[in-house]
Amino acid sequence: MRDLFIEIWESIRRNKVRTCLTGLAVAWGIFMLIVLLGAGNGLLNAFMGDSDDFATNTMNVFPGVTSKPYDGLKQGRRIRMTEQDMEMLRQPAFADHVDKVSTQATQGGYAMTYGRRYFRNIVLTGCMPDVEKVDRIQMHAGRFINERDMKSRRKVAVITHLHAKNFLSGSMDYDRLLGKRIKVGNLSFVIVGIRHGAENEDDRAVYIPYSTYKHLFSLGNRIDELNISFHDLETEAEAQAFEDEIRASLNAAHRVAPDDKRAFWIWNRFTQSIQMEKGRSLLITALWIIGLFTLVSGIVGVSNIMLITVKERTHEFGIRKALGARPGNILKLIVTESILITAFFGYIGMLLGMIACKVLDLTVGQSKVELFGESFKMLENPTVGLSTAIGATVVLIIAGTVAGIFPAMKAAKVKPIEALRAE
Amino acid sequence: MLIELKGVHKTYDNGQPLHVLKGIDLEIEKGEFVSIMGASGSGKSTLLNILGILDNYDEGEYHLAGKLIKNLSERESATYRNEMIGFVFQSFNLIGFKTAVENVELPLFYQGVSRHRRHEAAMAYLEKMGLTDWASHYPNEMSGGQKQRVAIARALITHPEIILADEPTGALDSKTSVEVMDLLTRLNREDGVTIIVVTHESGVANCADKIVHIKDGLIEKIEDNRQHHSSVFGADTIMK
Repeated sequence: MRDLFIEIWESIRRNKVRTCLTGLAVAWGIFMLIVLLGAGNGLLNAFMGDSDDFATNTMNVFPGVTSKPYDGLKQGRRIRMTEQDMEMLRQPAFADHVDKVSTQATQGGYAMTYGRRYFRNIVLTGCMPDVEKVDRIQMHAGRFINERDMKSRRKVAVITHLHAKNFLSGSMDYDRLLGKRIKVGNLSFVIVGIRHGAENEDDRAVYIPYSTYKHLFSLGNRIDELNISFHDLETEAEAQAFEDEIRASLNAAHRVAPDDKRAFWIWNRFTQSIQMEKGRSLLITALWIIGLFTLVSGIVGVSNIMLITVKERTHEFGIRKALGARPGNILKLIVTESILITAFFGYIGMLLGMIACKVLDLTVGQSKVELFGESFKMLENPTVGLSTAIGATVVLIIAGTVAGIFPAMKAAKVKPIEALRAE
Repeated sequence: MLIELKGVHKTYDNGQPLHVLKGIDLEIEKGEFVSIMGASGSGKSTLLNILGILDNYDEGEYHLAGKLIKNLSERESATYRNEMIGFVFQSFNLIGFKTAVENVELPLFYQGVSRHRRHEAAMAYLEKMGLTDWASHYPNEMSGGQKQRVAIARALITHPEIILADEPTGALDSKTSVEVMDLLTRLNREDGVTIIVVTHESGVANCADKIVHIKDGLIEKIEDNRQHHSSVFGADTIMK
């Protein structure tokens, strides 16, 4: 092995400039691949956010307006969902997939005050305890709304840590707020928990028990939405079938045409996340392809150089063959040289690409763009992971082999007598 | 019988067929010193290439040390060349970017001999050639005679059955030619190495014990030259 590397080193040393120029093409190819993938990841991270924020096995149903006349009722009828719909979906007939059925209601535009501190435009949300799991709510202090709050319609509230920080004048000692009273509008609540609120989203809702909300706002039987969590759905098709089943039951219960898709709006986070994942992998695949095509020019360059090398060294290979070099020895020599050149310069390109990603992160990644009055990050963490680095390494080794194999076969095939005659 | 050729024919087909060897029968014993003489175009180089398994032949049979050398794969012929044949070329054919000792080591490298043992063996042969001080020099730093002695060391290192020398003095001046031929003669006399020299110089051929004259692809005559009086210029001279 060591002899092989010494031989290759000798060959490379004699053609420094040529080897470096070719290597540059390979380095550039890998550099582009890494930067493209890094920037692509950054874009995806910035626009899609962390999809881990929500449980994906949930489905939200909102009432709509019928689009077809049916069963003696004319079209354009507004659907009103009631707690009976919740009860229906809790029946054993749906137990194969349905986990929990809950609802929530919101009302915005409240002022929230604590002592002399206050917030405007607070959204008050009446919710059931399941929300904690479905929306993956993180608690900083205290607890979330529980069943007993629901049962006895307690006037308790869960606020975000951003509210809490403000109330505590910047302190993080959230426990001090537990049990304290706040006013939302002209209603008074006891703080039982501090949850994590997202920094750059409109996530400023104050949660109170749904039963309390219903009582305070006299909702009666009417509900605004249905939140269904489910289990044992693996594929997009299964999830779609389940969605259709829910829709059919709701349509039937509300005397809506079976094929009317506008009476209920169903937001299926599962299929959505699958589709998002599809879109994501499509974009990444596209970036890989673009990057690989850039790399191809580098590979062609290496192949070309190896061809020239083989031509120049034909006489030498003739001597080696006369002395007993088997075709395999010659093949190995050329292919290994090709792989070494590709891998060495490829790694330089990869390293520079990763540095470029880091620079991108520190410059563009920190800036924000104003869009529709809201600010977005352009890029979020535009780097490539270990798997990409490993993938790129595999690509490099394959590329080196491909670049070297044809020149090597040419060198191995030449008859010793002809090779000896060459000059 | 070390070498046994029976009715060997060879035709080159570059556009129009060229019948180079027209039925060669030749036998060479172990320990012989044979020269093959002929004008250019007589087929002597082709014969040498076939003897050295560098080229194949169309008809007949060639046995080397009891093995039939015919229709071998590149891999097999490379192995046979490595183990049984040592080459000495007119233009030395040393690898320019390798030092003398590395050049001598090369055949052992293809046998998979370890670095250390390879180096030791190569140094021993260079010493025998009187080139110990030149071991780490590159070929372009050496004279023609020194280069040819490195090549001879390289040819000997695998203890081959035969040494095939193709115009070994062709690129050397007369004084160095005498030295190289003396060296080959000594190897034959003292170590019993079988040597076949191809040449068109009668003085060089005269060093051998047996001279095979080739003309137009056929063996014209095989001359017993143990008295070394073949050359018109007499014994102990090499006319350049």
